[in-house]
Amino acid sequence: MATTTATITINSTDLLTDELSLSSVSTLTTAGTSTGVTQTSGLARKTTSAASAAAIQANVLYRAGDYTADKANKVYIKNTSSTAAEFFTVHIDQEEIGRLYAGDWMFMPWNATSGTKRVGTVTIAATWAAGDTWEFDGITMTAANSTVADIAAQIDALNYPNWTTTYVATEATIIFTERYASSASYTALVTADGTLNTNGNGTADVSSAAVGSKSESDITIRPSVHTAMTYETLLIHE
Amino acid sequence: MATTTAAVTLTSDLLSDNMSVSASTTCMKAGTTADGLDQMEYGYLDLPTGDEYDLIATTPTATKASKLYLKNHSTDETYFIAITQNSQAIGKLYGGDWMFIPADFHDAAGDIAITANGGTNKICYALFHEGTALLAT
Repeated sequence: MATTTATITINSTDLLTDELSLSSVSTLTTAGTSTGVTQTSGLARKTTSAASAAAIQANVLYRAGDYTADKANKVYIKNTSSTAAEFFTVHIDQEEIGRLYAGDWMFMPWNATSGTKRVGTVTIAATWAAGDTWEFDGITMTAANSTVADIAAQIDALNYPNWTTTYVATEATIIFTERYASSASYTALVTADGTLNTNGNGTADVSSAAVGSKSESDITIRPSVHTAMTYETLLIHE
Repeated sequence: MATTTAAVTLTSDLLSDNMSVSASTTCMKAGTTADGLDQMEYGYLDLPTGDEYDLIATTPTATKASKLYLKNHSTDETYFIAITQNSQAIGKLYGGDWMFIPADFHDAAGDIAITANGGTNKICYALFHEGTALLAT
């Protein structure tokens, strides 16, 4: 079993009349157990910058949809800046947690509560021909033959930037699931989201489409200045 | 000025190579390197299950460099406290876990709230800040 420990020490000789010395060691375990956590994002370091103050954007550190919700995840973030006035503002979803000023670090648990993802079923039907195409999410499938199950298999085999697929061999349907909880349109997947080009009367209709809901706990940080600022981060998760 | 340092070390063998991350910061007032946080409150309490409680009784000045340390001293690993801020779920501290965060307290709704689960949790917290808005009786 992996052993991961987090140790904090807080010291001050002059904040109180007596010396303050606080130390704590935690062995990071999975939720509700004594088994050590086994996964990490690895330590990352990134420098942010923008063309102007007006162009500053928040950076997404971690998307909740990538991790299992309600577990004993832990997030470490550090602002490596040495300029006192420079800070990163840390948000979970829209809630501002606080500001990390120059040299500050934080370590917190993270629920990783995601929303639900859009889902839709695409059914390949009617008469297709080799060479017919169906484009979705910027990816084009070109039919190798006229068999609808083979075409469905071809669609399933492609890699879509924003969607994953589920397919059962010999069937003519593919279930598309959005990689991340819905964020923009909150509209259901529809047939018109795909572009069909067929010499026959082939169809690729969408059915059973479900609208998702937005992610509830993505972690973002926003730099206070548009000039270069650097942060380091580490996620330990289940 | 008061000088308070907070240091963290994370070590693990969960990668194929050992991992060790260390950081230390001197807790300063917002936007300065010359003036440290000079006020604190500290508490140790039993937190019963059931209701959600605000952890901090007074309201530290908003949008400053306040730091909050919170530890769940429960020894039962199934016990945990759920932490929310302004109804936003942050995470869960299981028995033995601690957290250290910048706390913005952007307004009255920005209080840190905690809820015990599993049984009565033993909680220790320390808030380092640069002033509070005291509540009138």
